[in-house]
Amino acid sequence: MQEATFLILTALAAGSQHGYGIITDVEQISKGRVRLRAGTLYTALERLRTDRLIEVDREEIVESRLRRYYRLTPTGAERLAEEADRLSSNAHVAMSRLEMSSGLATT
Amino acid sequence: MSDSTQLERRYLRLLAFYPKAFRREHEQEMLSVLMAGAAKGQRRPSPDEAIDLVSNAILMRLWRTFTRLFVRSYEYRHRRLLWGFRIVWGLVLLGVAMFALSYGSWWALWFLAGAAADFVFGYRIYQIAQSQPPTWRVTSNAEAE
Repeated sequence: MQEATFLILTALAAGSQHGYGIITDVEQISKGRVRLRAGTLYTALERLRTDRLIEVDREEIVESRLRRYYRLTPTGAERLAEEADRLSSNAHVAMSRLEMSSGLATT
Repeated sequence: MSDSTQLERRYLRLLAFYPKAFRREHEQEMLSVLMAGAAKGQRRPSPDEAIDLVSNAILMRLWRTFTRLFVRSYEYRHRRLLWGFRIVWGLVLLGVAMFALSYGSWWALWFLAGAAADFVFGYRIYQIAQSQPPTWRVTSNAEAE
């Protein structure tokens, strides 16, 4: 799973969001590192929708502009949980090994 | 003309690169995302934005051509039927090949290759049939089923 995809799914994990909401949320989650552009976002959303990881929640008109809200499907939540698990287990191993090697260096 | 309508017109010109079916569903939605992300007084899309929109539009067109080339709509609509048909046909080819092989005929190899190709192609269609149809209709998954 690409990082952008992972972050988009994470942005939707707490509840439905519209396009611009996802962009700002992803920026916040990644601490400003990832700023999605509209074209990239919609290509990703299209693929996620085809794979049934997300679906359209509802539509709203705000200041005469269309907002379409997306939400995770149960499959999407499952995939995100699996991926998060994998990443955290890898990160955990990396941290503990770094600790081990720095422990050896200081003694 | 105000800055924002000018900017909007320019965004629309870039969005025109997207396939028609996609535009029908997502143009207004993407326009509101683009306008929400625009700086105050911005009059034209930034070069990055333009490149991002055009390249993703091209990507989407290529993707559609690709799915069309490999799964014709007829095959998509009759995918279940075709899958069953391909199994039966593959088994027939396999049977003929086995029969011929038992007589030591070299052409049996062609039948084996044919059967294998048939299974592979049938499986590819089956796989694609598992995912959503290659359209950009906005329907919730409950509706689509």
